[in-house]
Amino acid sequence: MVSVINTVDTSHEDMIHDAQMDYYGTRLATCSSDRSVKIFDVRNGGQILIADLRGHEGPVWQVAWAHPMYGNILASCSYDRKVIIWKEENGTWEKTYEYTGHDSSVNSVCWAPHDYGLILACGSSDGAISLLSYTGDGQWEVKKISNAHTIGCNAVSWAPAVVPGSLIEQPSGQKPNYIKRFASGGCDNLVKIWKEEDGQWKEEQKLEAHSDWVRDVAWAPSIGLPTSTIASCSQDGRVFIWTCDDASGNSWSPKLLHKFTDVVWHVSWSITANILAVSGGDNKVTLWKESVDGLWACISDVNKGQGGVSAVTEGQQNEQ
Amino acid sequence: MASSLCRASPSPVDSVCITSAFSHTDFHQFCPSTGRIYQCKNTCKALVDNSCRPKTRTALPKHGLFMLGRLVQVSKNYRSVIRACMEDMHQAAVSARDPALHSQYSTQVSILSAMELIWNLCEILFVEAAVAGPLLLRLLDWVRLHVCDVDNMVREVLSSENPSKHELFWNVVDVFVLQGRMDEARHLLSKEASANPTSVNMCRILDDLMKKMPVPSLGNTQTLTEMELKWQHWHEECQRYLQDGTFASNSHMESICKILLGDENAILEKKELMTTWYHFLVTRLLYSHPTVKPMELRFYAQSSMDLFLGGESSPEPLDTILMAAFEFEMHQVIKECSIALSNWWFVAHLTDLLDHCKLLQSHNLYFGSNMREFLLLEYASGLFSHYSLWQLGVDYFDHCPEYGRVYLELHIERIPLNTEQKALKVLRICEQRQMHEQVRSICKIMAMKALRNNRLGSALSWSIRAKDAAFATLISDRFLKDYCEKGCFSDLDLIDNLGPSMLLSDRLTFLGKYREFHRLYGEKRFSEAAKLLLMLMTAHIAPCSFWMTLLTDALPLLEQKEVIFSAEQTYELMRCLEDLTAGKSDKQKFQDDDVETMKVEMLRLALARNLARVIVKEGTLEGS
Repeated sequence: MVSVINTVDTSHEDMIHDAQMDYYGTRLATCSSDRSVKIFDVRNGGQILIADLRGHEGPVWQVAWAHPMYGNILASCSYDRKVIIWKEENGTWEKTYEYTGHDSSVNSVCWAPHDYGLILACGSSDGAISLLSYTGDGQWEVKKISNAHTIGCNAVSWAPAVVPGSLIEQPSGQKPNYIKRFASGGCDNLVKIWKEEDGQWKEEQKLEAHSDWVRDVAWAPSIGLPTSTIASCSQDGRVFIWTCDDASGNSWSPKLLHKFTDVVWHVSWSITANILAVSGGDNKVTLWKESVDGLWACISDVNKGQGGVSAVTEGQQNEQ
Repeated sequence: MASSLCRASPSPVDSVCITSAFSHTDFHQFCPSTGRIYQCKNTCKALVDNSCRPKTRTALPKHGLFMLGRLVQVSKNYRSVIRACMEDMHQAAVSARDPALHSQYSTQVSILSAMELIWNLCEILFVEAAVAGPLLLRLLDWVRLHVCDVDNMVREVLSSENPSKHELFWNVVDVFVLQGRMDEARHLLSKEASANPTSVNMCRILDDLMKKMPVPSLGNTQTLTEMELKWQHWHEECQRYLQDGTFASNSHMESICKILLGDENAILEKKELMTTWYHFLVTRLLYSHPTVKPMELRFYAQSSMDLFLGGESSPEPLDTILMAAFEFEMHQVIKECSIALSNWWFVAHLTDLLDHCKLLQSHNLYFGSNMREFLLLEYASGLFSHYSLWQLGVDYFDHCPEYGRVYLELHIERIPLNTEQKALKVLRICEQRQMHEQVRSICKIMAMKALRNNRLGSALSWSIRAKDAAFATLISDRFLKDYCEKGCFSDLDLIDNLGPSMLLSDRLTFLGKYREFHRLYGEKRFSEAAKLLLMLMTAHIAPCSFWMTLLTDALPLLEQKEVIFSAEQTYELMRCLEDLTAGKSDKQKFQDDDVETMKVEMLRLALARNLARVIVKEGTLEGS
């Protein structure tokens, strides 16, 4: 049931580490060891190079699109310890901010839900996670969580801005009081959940199940049910689905999705969180779905060429 | 609905693969002509309205029958849509020059044909089940409609000059007998009789047997027992003729008699004419158990398939689906169809129909009626990746009581808003459903887009709609900045007609009022303009940074021949000016260039002069 609908020849000169579709599925951003970030228009199965962004001095590990209400904004992070935020102004892409507050490679960037404002979380090999918040007029405020993970942090993923249980209990007319949370995965084999309390970030939960470095975490979008779900994948070849049934976020229980034969690099959820995409060193990208009786089944299998497949992202492809 | 989901997966070389899950055979591929797309869309829409309305669970018997009739009609509508698509597809296949395209369309035609076959059977067995009426007749109709491989042969023989001399003549007679088309069989027999005097007797007898064959009738003119009795008698009569060797000299007629007697082997011999095991099943039932009841079908279905395939070939997906239907395993039918078809349309609509017939609940599966919603959500999600069918998806989500709304909220924000029209369409949908978050989000996106393209007026109206005070302030500042630079306002219409939305942000209020000041001045309503100008400063509506500009705007009013500002107003103005200059630090005063200092001097002078004039004026008695 799965078929390749488009192959984009990016002309990157080296390994591609990440590829992300924008909010509408009309643009694709790719980043590579060749230090560049490229943006393509991929509507109607085509590929038009819109921009070739240079600014990093090392392999670029991840890219992330911000919500369109803030404009066309893309964040990228690299081995060169920098996080660069690019913005499209008057049809051209330019660097709008550069953050150099990390002492080591920055491995992951993730934008917070748009309801919180324009906030970017960055995870680095120096073990710290920094949160960059846009305060207006080109200014960014930085909050740092030092020693989030010993040895290094490999992935960050924000929780959706939904008050758990809101599908069942209708929230009052005024804006709900969001509790900002995000998950991180690190070289200490742990997945940690962070919560903001009185302007400070605190470690709320420690999820232990992996026996090797956690490579990616992905917090599933919420449809308002009381359950929260996180997917994590690791060097140990395992993918776990963590669920928390109560609204206070206290008891997380893992379910093993599958044990793969090689390192699993990335996990990513569909918009309505009913499908999880997994990619790994076994050269495969697989799609998984939860059946009505709570078991996860693989609904597809896409084998892709030589070398490892290192990033998977889900968006919505539109015929335009 | 080319894809409900797609992934970008990079490879170490240089290419990125965008893959799609559930690559639906695009529904609009079924109907290549655009006219048909809309017809299908409208039929679907009508059917959605018709069939997806949440039904009340308490159905009285009379009401139930009425509902049932409606549901059968709905089912028939679905089938006619499928048939219409098949027609179009067939036309497309015929006119396709490219062989690859031709074969693609032909495949689609066969898929659609299979879909209609399955749907028809489900309609007979499940939807019409409660309707009194002989199952067998409906099954016979079903077979006649769908086994068309023999139609050409039939046409050929019938249209030939001397049908009875045609080499395929007996084949056609057999076909009619196998399909229970007695009148047509008898008609051909009469031709044989007139052409072949030696077989007149046999023909007459066979004709008679065929005429007398008891068939379950549509109207309830006979009871089951009566029917069975009659049938028994007739069966025995046929038996006697066969055993007497009446047809011994004509192997064709003898085999027909055996068929009439329900002899399995005789029927099986005509495999090629039946082409499918389910035809065999129905023929078998016709001649051995004509009063078969729905629940008894399962016993005959499996054995029919086994006998027919005879271990030579294994059942195909279509066979498995039909078998599940004969066995009344509805969930199995849905499951098998989901696997076999790469298209959620079929299972989603069929399940919805069955759910409305209250059939799915009778099965003891714990997800019960959620199966309907589950499939509808899948189908509708797929529609959202299509540039125009997403609107249909909205309707489907509306009819999913549990998760429909939240799925809609998540999907509707992802529709690319290339044009203002599309954005307005999406907004209307969100507003109708009180999806305020989505409305705000979309308005903010449009405002940002407009701002990026320097369309300040559009950006302002979008941010007003989004009730986004911060953005409105930002844009108002831009307007004011533009005014300071160019000396005029753009988008006057918008600013003039702000109305109560002016109150959204202080800066916006100022912008509106400031424009009003200009208008008053333009209309030469100087004293009103003066009052407004002053109020803008004293009520602190104007930002401090703008005071200098306002005071400069006051200059022409001060210099008028007629005195406009009253004494009190003049004092106020002076106070404002002093506040402004006092507020500056010494350093700032030093940095002020000559123009600035001159402006302040001019203002002081003008104010003083005005004060002088107004004191005199106010001090003078009227008429003296």
